[in-house]
Amino acid sequence: MNKPILLSRSNLILFIIFLALIAFPFVMDSRTLTILLTQILIFGILAMSYDILLGYTGIVSFGHAMFFGIGAYCTAIMLNDFESTIGVFLGSIVVGMIIAGILSFLVGLLTLRLKSHFFAMLTMAISGLLLVVAEKWRDVTKGNDGFTFKAPDVFKDRIVFYLVVLALLVIVFITLKRFVNSPLGRVLIAVRENEQRTKSLGFKTLYYKVIASIVAGVIASLAGSLYAVSLRFVNTSVLTMEITLDALLMTIIGGVGTLIGPLIGSVVIESAQHYLSGLARDFPIFERWIIFFGIIYILAVIFFPKGIAGTLQSKYYQWKAKKVQTTNVVPLSKNKESSE
Amino acid sequence: MDLIISLVINGLATGMLIFLLAAGLTLIFGLMDVLNFAHGGLFVWGAYTGIFSYAYTGSFIVGIVVAILTGLVFGFIMEKLIITPVYGNHVQQILITLGFMLVLQEMIKVFFGPNVVAVKVPEYLAGSWQVGDIIIIKYRIFIIIFGFIVFGLFHYILTRTKVGLIVRAGVMNKDMVQALGINIKRIFLFVFMTGAALAAVAGVLMAPYSGSIYAELGMEYAILAFIVVVIGGMGSFQGSLFAAILVGLAGSFMAYYVPYLSLAVNMILMAVVLIFRPQGLFQAAKG
Amino acid sequence: MMENLLKLDNVNTHIGQYHILQGVHFEAKVGEVSVLLGRNGAGKTTTLKTIIGLTPATGGSVTFLNQDITKKPTYDIANLGIGYVPEDQGIFAQLSVEENIKVAMKKESEESKEKLEYVLNLFPDLKKFWKKAGGNLSGGQKQMLAMARAFVNDSKLLLIDEPSKGLAPIVIEKVMEAIVEMKKRTTILLVEQNFFMASKIGDSFTLIDDGKTVHQGAMKELIDNDEMKHKYLGIG
Ligand SMILES: Nc1ncnc2c1ncn2[C@@H]1O[C@H](COP(=O)(O)OP(=O)(O)OP(=O)(O)O)[C@@H](O)[C@H]1O
Ligand SMILES: [Mg+2]
Repeated sequence: MNKPILLSRSNLILFIIFLALIAFPFVMDSRTLTILLTQILIFGILAMSYDILLGYTGIVSFGHAMFFGIGAYCTAIMLNDFESTIGVFLGSIVVGMIIAGILSFLVGLLTLRLKSHFFAMLTMAISGLLLVVAEKWRDVTKGNDGFTFKAPDVFKDRIVFYLVVLALLVIVFITLKRFVNSPLGRVLIAVRENEQRTKSLGFKTLYYKVIASIVAGVIASLAGSLYAVSLRFVNTSVLTMEITLDALLMTIIGGVGTLIGPLIGSVVIESAQHYLSGLARDFPIFERWIIFFGIIYILAVIFFPKGIAGTLQSKYYQWKAKKVQTTNVVPLSKNKESSE
Repeated sequence: MDLIISLVINGLATGMLIFLLAAGLTLIFGLMDVLNFAHGGLFVWGAYTGIFSYAYTGSFIVGIVVAILTGLVFGFIMEKLIITPVYGNHVQQILITLGFMLVLQEMIKVFFGPNVVAVKVPEYLAGSWQVGDIIIIKYRIFIIIFGFIVFGLFHYILTRTKVGLIVRAGVMNKDMVQALGINIKRIFLFVFMTGAALAAVAGVLMAPYSGSIYAELGMEYAILAFIVVVIGGMGSFQGSLFAAILVGLAGSFMAYYVPYLSLAVNMILMAVVLIFRPQGLFQAAKG
Repeated sequence: MMENLLKLDNVNTHIGQYHILQGVHFEAKVGEVSVLLGRNGAGKTTTLKTIIGLTPATGGSVTFLNQDITKKPTYDIANLGIGYVPEDQGIFAQLSVEENIKVAMKKESEESKEKLEYVLNLFPDLKKFWKKAGGNLSGGQKQMLAMARAFVNDSKLLLIDEPSKGLAPIVIEKVMEAIVEMKKRTTILLVEQNFFMASKIGDSFTLIDDGKTVHQGAMKELIDNDEMKHKYLGIG
């Protein structure tokens, strides 16, 4: 951790991947692939935000879609009602983030003192409530039919939008990385490991959990904004449980508590969704590709609680002969919840 | 007046279905400290296997029996494969049962197709009675009676039999039950399978009531059951009957008078209960 | 020499990541009252829980009736004939006195009926409040119910954790009498802070400190050894 950051080997790898991603659309002139990659990056942002909750703080929220949905609707509505310029686009992102921040603060304050079961259930219910409101409030949301809108002209070029999303993802990644490595992030990890002990050390754990949920909510809103623009369309599906489930699958399969893991999860799930549904024309079973992930997910929870990234990372550390202790790769270990 | 009576009957019938689903959920939670997010998957599997065998044999009774068997088998497999490995870890339980819910739901589409299946009420339960100006739909009465019989039966088991006594004791203090020489894991399995069977029965009974079934129904009803379990108090069997009827009636009256609020009302009710009285309205384990 | 009913050999127990017991050993002889002593947090309760299998030992061995029970599940251990009266009594609060006892009674045999009769004569209060909810009993009555419940469950050995805790002297007297009476029919392993009581009814003692056995012997020895009493129990 104390090594000059830019020189470490894993950062070098990340940098190379970053360069490759920039070069990608210019090398591979495929509209479909660019769109797929954009989708992967957007869901990568969402999954990283979920990792802050699940991976770093150890809380399971079933209501993450509500923040994603808020971002999506903010951007869609503002681009539709005002001019569709970059300025409005950026403004709508900020507005979405602010609303999401306030909502996650309020929801967190109300719910985060509950035990994990109840928290999961209540977040599911609140998010379900928001979905119902959105479906009934047709004047604004157009309900399940949704509405299309015009994106800023520069985004007509898919590559430009892709690069913007890529840049945002990098910014989010670096910001979150700093966040989890900050003293505050350390407290979150301590909460995950043993909330009771952290409390008895004098930390107001509720305060830290609320902060984590605000950070996660704000970033999820950003992902929602980008998602809406990528489709130039929005409907109430952005608020459904499916979105939360996607984030959950990506985080678990990719690896909780790593930030890189959720990105890997997004690559795996989004591309599988893309290619497996393609296969479905010949083999109908692939229509139900989600089953495979459901099963992988269950196996991961039982046998590989660290996910792809976590498992690879700890293998790598073992291989490096225990020179570096894993500080930020800790699984959802079996006997962690002594706090309840 | 007529309107009120039919709304009450409607609400009671829905309430009973939710009760069947919630009863297992609440006992499993109270005894095993497991909140089963896959409970709705058992419900929808009960509906499909029951309705398909009903269609195949022409006998609704066979359908109900098949649903019960499905519930028992799925309950057994689930307890052994899904619940036991993560016993005692809430976060993993929540994650894994939700994942299993997803799998169960998608498996429905694999085995029975992704389309909505229309279901008819069996002939001898179809139709309605006319009492004065009131039209009473027979099948709803059937559900209500069925629900009360199940309640009575389980109330008897819980309060009058040794195994019921052990279950109630286990809800209060698991360690002590074991220290008195009882293998609690066997009790867990028994309760889990019973709860699963109840959920499956709720599914097959609901199918003719709503007229059609589809895979996502499980999640929809499960949310109602969660609400009921929270309102009634986790682990309280009686509480879940009370809360289920409350939720059923609220749903039926709201759907008539303020339709756009009908779903919201129950969720708000649950949120309020969770925030101000997280142990529920009833104390657990009264039997 | 009397036979060892229970034997703990270098028992180690972890709870979560904490290493609580780090070498407990002692024997309980048939027909005796053995007393576990030690200051708060020494590991007395954990020792009992380890014997009954609620916090299983991670090292060493527990032998009961010449069988290794270290790795056995709690219900097996209980069925071999160990009754447990926990520190908080573990009463099923919403069950009646009758139901509390019924949970423990395996079968309605003549023998268990006789045992029930016997224990109800020992604790007439229980008979009086037969239908009352366990949670509504007084502290002393709860203690009696917990002891009765452990006793009817075919127990050859009773583990009793601090029965005098929070009770009035007159009630302590009653509980002591009951233990002395029960001793005629079963072996007892007692955790007790009240040294007066321990010294009066105990035959042998084991001193635990910081999760380790530091001394073991006949109760007489301890009564006469002021230094030890002072060092480990803060008395005398
Ligand atoms: N579940 C647990 N988690 C962590 N530590 C525990 C747990 N249970 C007990 N301990 C610790 O183990 C040590 C021994 O506890 P134990 O209850 O056995 O003490 P004791 O001798 O019975 O004390 P007392 O006289 O106060 O009843 C204590 O330091 C306690 O803090
Ligand atoms: Mg103690």
